[in-house]
Amino acid sequence: MTRGSDGAGTDDGLGKRLRELDPASEANDRELIDRMFRNVKGQCADSDRRITGFVRSRSTIVRRLIVLVVFAVLAVIGWYNFPLVDESVRTGQWVATLAAFCILLIVAMLMVTRPVHRPELPRWQAVCLVCVAVGATVLAAFWPTAGAQAITHEHTSRMVAGACMGFGLLLGVPVYALLRLVDRGNAFGSLIAASAAGLAGNFVLKAHCEIETTGHVLLGHASVAVLFVMGLGLVHRWIPSK
Amino acid sequence: MLSRPPNPQSTDEELMDAYIDGSDQAFRLLFERYAPILLRLTRRHLRSDELAEEIVQQTFFRLHGARNDFRRGSKLRPWVMTIAMNLVREHWRRKKRRKMTSLEVETQAAPEAELMPLEIRERAKLLHAALEKLPNSQREVVELHWFQERPYAEVATIVGTSEGAVRVRAHRAYATLKQLLVSEIRGDE
Repeated sequence: MTRGSDGAGTDDGLGKRLRELDPASEANDRELIDRMFRNVKGQCADSDRRITGFVRSRSTIVRRLIVLVVFAVLAVIGWYNFPLVDESVRTGQWVATLAAFCILLIVAMLMVTRPVHRPELPRWQAVCLVCVAVGATVLAAFWPTAGAQAITHEHTSRMVAGACMGFGLLLGVPVYALLRLVDRGNAFGSLIAASAAGLAGNFVLKAHCEIETTGHVLLGHASVAVLFVMGLGLVHRWIPSK
Repeated sequence: MLSRPPNPQSTDEELMDAYIDGSDQAFRLLFERYAPILLRLTRRHLRSDELAEEIVQQTFFRLHGARNDFRRGSKLRPWVMTIAMNLVREHWRRKKRRKMTSLEVETQAAPEAELMPLEIRERAKLLHAALEKLPNSQREVVELHWFQERPYAEVATIVGTSEGAVRVRAHRAYATLKQLLVSEIRGDE
């Protein structure tokens, strides 16, 4: 074993003494190592046979490209096959909101696909992303584009809020599944993927839903992100993972 | 690319290269080389043989999954250590979340405790008690620098902070341990 080259002379022999005091120094039980190796080989072989194992064992660059390509394909299909909001609503503010969702989605993707050989991100960063993602969708409800306000009445907007929520949740599911598929087991991966799913749903709704009243956006759009994050947060809290 | 078949004299990085190219023998040799090191590391952290074995197996499972990220020419040891330390941290976080009682920690037997002479056992107990009083961030630095004998720069890479921060943590941990283990560290009988 390589000796640590720095700091060793300044510890008054503490390291040597600690190692002497430590009873766990011997761990060369041949039988134990053999048994553990058999288990690991079994796990690896099992994983290699599955599509999840195959995708997760691709390099980080490839996994990120897979996600970006799928996002791009979905965006293009949605953009050309479903009517966008009226041109009067496509203001700078609308573009800025979509860009913000897009940036947050990419940050979430980068966090989920972070290589496991790098130190895990501090908890606050994951919590921060989730809060910002949910906060952005809520904030969008209080920042409607000027043209949109006149398009519909509050009553109509609440009626279709349920449809928007269902559509948003439905759109978020494949995004969540995709991010879980490429996640090698990062801490908070599920929660980050949930917020990404909420953002994806909100991105599509923002691009295609003309109703911009605060009540509708809160009930039909922002609720998608809230439901994803809270639902999956609770699932992970109450269902113990391995 | 490895020009000769993997053998016990190959470096870690040569073995890893061979493993990426599909050599099971190289994986076996890497396991034999790193599993005992990781077992020592995780046993001290977790105070449980069963958990330590699970974490070591998970480390290699993750290494297998991440093998295509290994860049030829880079060092393998920080890689493996970082994966293991991430798993240890994740374990502590999950344990904290599940609000497991401190009683359970106390009742976990120290590894191989029954096989050791009484005096060594007592000293080991003191050492573990002292280590448990350190914050996790300091304990992992003590573990990697003094027990695993890794240089500060490598410890910094593994724990994901600067070398300066690692030195500060090591100094604080050193001061605390010195205070808690006065006679044991001096070797007084």
